[in-house]
Amino acid sequence: MGMGRALPLALLLFSAALATAQDTERIEVIRMHGLYAVTTGSAGDVLEDDPVGRLKVYVYELPTKYNKKMVAKDSRCLSHMFAAEIFMHRFLLSSAIRTLNPEEADWFYTPVYTTCDLTPWGHPLPFKSPRIMRSAIQFISKRWPYWNRTEGADHFFVVPHDFGACFHYQEEKAIERGVLPLLRRATLVQTFGQKDHVCLKEGSITIPPYAPPQKMKTHLVPPETPRSIFVYFRGLFYDTANDPEGGYYARGARASVWENFKNNPLFDISTDHPPTYYEDMQRAVFCLCPLGWAPWSPRLVEAVVFGCIPVIIADDIVLPFADAIPWEEIGVFVAEDDVPKLDTILTSIPMEVILRKQRLLANPSMKQAMLFPQPAQPGDAFHQILNGLARKLPHGKDVFLKPGQKVLNWTEGPRGDLKPW
Amino acid sequence: MGLPTDHGGRGKKPGSQLWKKALLHSCLCFVMGFFTGFAPSSVSDWTSAAVSTAGGAVASSHLVRPLVGAMTNRSLLAQDPTTAAAAAPRPLLVVVTTTESTPKGERAAALTRMAHTLRLVPPPLLWVVVEAAADVPDTARMLRATGLMYRHLAYKDNFTAADVAAGKERHHQRNVALGHVEHRLAGVVHFAGLGDVFDLHFFDQLREISSAAAHAGTPWLLYRYRPKHGYLRATFVSAFGAWPVATMSRDERKVVVRGPVCSSSAVTGWFLQDFSNGTAAEASTARPREVDVNGFAFNSSVLWDPERWGRYPTSEPDKSQDSMKFVQQVALEDFSKVKGIPSDCSEVMVWHVDTTVPFTSSSSQQSLGNKRR
Amino acid sequence: MMKSLLPQSGLRRSSVRGETGRPLGAAGAGADGAAADGGGAGAKAPASSTFWFLLHALCCLISLFLGFRFSRLLFFMLFSTTALYHSATTSSSAAVLRATTTTTTTTTTTTTTTNTFTLSFAAANPPPASLANRTALETAAMVKAGTSGNPQSHVVVGRHGIRIRPWPHPDPVEVMRAHRIMERVQEEQRRWYGVKEARQVLVVTPTYSRAFQALHLTGLLHTLRNVAYPLTWIVVEAGGTTNATAAMLSRSGLTYVHIPFPDRMPSDWADRHATENRMRLHALRVIRERKMDGVVVFADDSNVHTMELFDEVQKVQWMGAVSVGILAHTGAAEQPRLSEEDKQNMPLPVQGPACNSSGHLAGWHTFNSLPFSGKAATVVGEAAPVLPKGLEWAGFVLNSRMLWKDAEGKPDWVKDLDAVGENGEEIENPLTLLNDPSSVEPLGNCGKKVLLWWLRVEARADSKFPKG
Repeated sequence: MGMGRALPLALLLFSAALATAQDTERIEVIRMHGLYAVTTGSAGDVLEDDPVGRLKVYVYELPTKYNKKMVAKDSRCLSHMFAAEIFMHRFLLSSAIRTLNPEEADWFYTPVYTTCDLTPWGHPLPFKSPRIMRSAIQFISKRWPYWNRTEGADHFFVVPHDFGACFHYQEEKAIERGVLPLLRRATLVQTFGQKDHVCLKEGSITIPPYAPPQKMKTHLVPPETPRSIFVYFRGLFYDTANDPEGGYYARGARASVWENFKNNPLFDISTDHPPTYYEDMQRAVFCLCPLGWAPWSPRLVEAVVFGCIPVIIADDIVLPFADAIPWEEIGVFVAEDDVPKLDTILTSIPMEVILRKQRLLANPSMKQAMLFPQPAQPGDAFHQILNGLARKLPHGKDVFLKPGQKVLNWTEGPRGDLKPW
Repeated sequence: MGLPTDHGGRGKKPGSQLWKKALLHSCLCFVMGFFTGFAPSSVSDWTSAAVSTAGGAVASSHLVRPLVGAMTNRSLLAQDPTTAAAAAPRPLLVVVTTTESTPKGERAAALTRMAHTLRLVPPPLLWVVVEAAADVPDTARMLRATGLMYRHLAYKDNFTAADVAAGKERHHQRNVALGHVEHRLAGVVHFAGLGDVFDLHFFDQLREISSAAAHAGTPWLLYRYRPKHGYLRATFVSAFGAWPVATMSRDERKVVVRGPVCSSSAVTGWFLQDFSNGTAAEASTARPREVDVNGFAFNSSVLWDPERWGRYPTSEPDKSQDSMKFVQQVALEDFSKVKGIPSDCSEVMVWHVDTTVPFTSSSSQQSLGNKRR
Repeated sequence: MMKSLLPQSGLRRSSVRGETGRPLGAAGAGADGAAADGGGAGAKAPASSTFWFLLHALCCLISLFLGFRFSRLLFFMLFSTTALYHSATTSSSAAVLRATTTTTTTTTTTTTTTNTFTLSFAAANPPPASLANRTALETAAMVKAGTSGNPQSHVVVGRHGIRIRPWPHPDPVEVMRAHRIMERVQEEQRRWYGVKEARQVLVVTPTYSRAFQALHLTGLLHTLRNVAYPLTWIVVEAGGTTNATAAMLSRSGLTYVHIPFPDRMPSDWADRHATENRMRLHALRVIRERKMDGVVVFADDSNVHTMELFDEVQKVQWMGAVSVGILAHTGAAEQPRLSEEDKQNMPLPVQGPACNSSGHLAGWHTFNSLPFSGKAATVVGEAAPVLPKGLEWAGFVLNSRMLWKDAEGKPDWVKDLDAVGENGEEIENPLTLLNDPSSVEPLGNCGKKVLLWWLRVEARADSKFPKG
């Protein structure tokens, strides 16, 4: 009996040891998510929905210090990747779904620009954001009865920070902070998306980061320009300033891309940003979209707009408008651990699959949904956000509180956040 | 358990003999395993494997379907006969074109023609085009349309007309190109001049430098990269290739053929033939002061193999930046490392056109030697 | 008993058992007791020698394995904090509990065999503490504190290893496969965006045997081989066909017609120009006789053509005109006063159609030879640039049906080819084939794009060269 039991263990150990030995030789675990997603072509239907007539949004009028003055002070806010909050405001003001009668509104929107505090180098500082947000909410809850009616459950906020309403650019800190307590019931419209993450609360709408549509348009090259780059990437591999040890930034995935593929002629990867960046993306077959400090990056938008198959390297990412854009069908998903096998994974994709992905990417409605054009156009990202809000209607019963019921704790959170702004 | 005494008491029994042996062997094996673990070469290999393995377990929910997919992919690809034909691996060719400060029209025309030639060379081929930053946009548009795999490198340094005339800009451009190749792209590097015309077989010959470079019986692809140790490589037979180049000067009455003298693909000397009057003028075995880069190619591994060449970086501090000089120097120093192309160096496969028009015919005769290409 | 004989391995085994045992269920329970039971069995039964041998080998293997693991662990503790490039045990505890899923894929170039050994592990089991790992645990703890009951992603915050694969990069077979993919993608792009019904391209090239012939013809040949449309190369050779030219043509892999032209090529530029024109006309007559169908392009062997030109000519209805860049820059020696900068900015002289605002032909840009006055060559090969004379043929393309005796819908503004050049008058340019040149179609974005370059680089006529 003893033997009977000892043998299986021994065999297991032995095979494990053998496997380890083989590891050192060459191991290939090919893991591709989404390659074999069913092609029912969900692309069109949802993307082309028209939100008009399906919802009404009331836009609160706030003192200009919460929005316009900030932009006036620093116009760079209009062009960085968090600019969606500004353009969403502008869009809503002139949109057909806007109502001036708050009584008939399905959703309430508070136009507060929490990312418009930039360092001299143009990086947004999130430190004041919680106080600005808190101040704005205090303002609307005092002036109008609608916040207290639901404590924000029928309000939505655009928070395009790295880690959404957690308001910090370092993930650890962001997690520690959690979503701003006052926003726990509100619907958040944010770029950050990662499954089961503290900073992505249920019901949030994940949107693409802002990429300048006009600028991108001027760099368009004819679609017949032969795609002659196999894999393209421009950006940091190591963020030595913030992560001198390496391994924190991009959870080591970008460094792994560099270390494994810097000597591969098929991988056109580098840290310097050439003037032909947008053009080069249009002549690449695959564009790497690895995570950075957060799982998303503007490359997602650029890849889709430029018809380059996005290779998404960010475990558990929640992609923008995932209910409308068939990401599984247009992109390639590579697990962070599989980065060393990237070349094998990409060259093993069947030709038909690559061509199908390219054909889907050529669909203009796909590109439209990733952009925030001025003026707005049907099917663009603004409309996708509204569609997302419309799909949440009608509001559930639990949205409206009983008279006197309080859910939110106004004194919760770090002391620094509670200071008036 | 009181085992030691227990053990001693039963020392004479055959069972305990066995146990002693077992213990000894186990201990030995343990020590063996222990030291195997410390073997330096597999350190990162093992850990990375372990990491990816662990990751596999975590993400196993996505694993099964794609795995099947991947397998199907491969078999699908395998069934495609064209793929099978194309799959015969070839060494990488890195063709470097330095544009120097050629006027725009000439540059566009020459690059276009070069692109057409390179398009006919079987992959993998990487075309490295080096230009001053100001010239980039026009050329970029042209390069995009070629469909070739290329890298367009720009530099910001400014050069005066005098620098250009002295060939400094050209030298700088070549170094920029080598900087891109250095430590990264393993293959045969060839500097193709603007306005060079090639026989397509020439590129096949170039690839042979790479295969000649590897140890006999060791295929080129077996170079192993180890993050800490750099490239472990087989010994070189030769790392350089040289061939005769016919330089034709516009409106001149002569063609100059420069190149190596070879016997059975080994270079034994250099010669320069001047066909001014239809007869070969001179042939010399004297070493040229500088190898004309149009007439030679090298295996890029030369660049990152300091132990092998043992003199790099040299004592001069700035020389470490000057890869071009280093390569030229190394190529010159030892004929035995240079492979003649084709094997008897008899056939001219590369023509170089000097498009510069001399102002007067008298001055042209003198300026031939130091003319800009 | 064995346990105590091998104190270290025993110690380690408990953790190994933990790693591997749990979720296997029944089998796991068996493994749990395995070591002790094995020892017990050995003490009890005076078993056969095979059994002992097996057990012995087993123990040796286990200790080998454990020794290996132990040293690794030690190694990590010593180096993991400093070594950036080693994938130090990732913070995911899974890395430390490493008896795990091992997927081995043996790859040959074409087939893949997959053997999967799946041993799960209990994530609840605390892994042996190593330096790297402790930080991971701390992070994990911190994460938990922050979540306040939210579900946690399995993606762990903190420091990760940088995964570097051990086998050589790049795999040449994969490189080839990637190139094949790019090739197919480009093919597909042509199919999606390219010309749907391609017309044949008839390339007319006057040539003659000379020093630069091999060079120029090779260049043109490479260009023509890249053309994606059906193509016939009509080569007219002055002084009769030569073997060298014929050999080159036959090696090209192109469809070609090699036509001898009786006259020799003169070295005087003006005469040569006229001779070339007569050679082109000769080719056109061959096209007329053979009723060759397609678009005629005049490609001199020393000119350089873009691929776009061949796309553009597909659009021509009867006769089209394209812009030609004239490469008459003369290099450093010629203009010593000009700096490099000036030369760079000197506009490229262009010959081509000029359009009015509505996109119709309004006139011609012609080459201005003024800056070259007194410096132009009269004999080809002289030490001065050879300049174009009037409108070069290279800038025109035409529908070959225009040349046919009777073609459907042939416009009345086209002359009959038999009425042209018969009386010995020189055919300066293809416009003489027309009664009314205003119907010429400007191509290439109304002539704004230079689609080819006109260039004359020749050696002196009296020079002698070795054969290539």
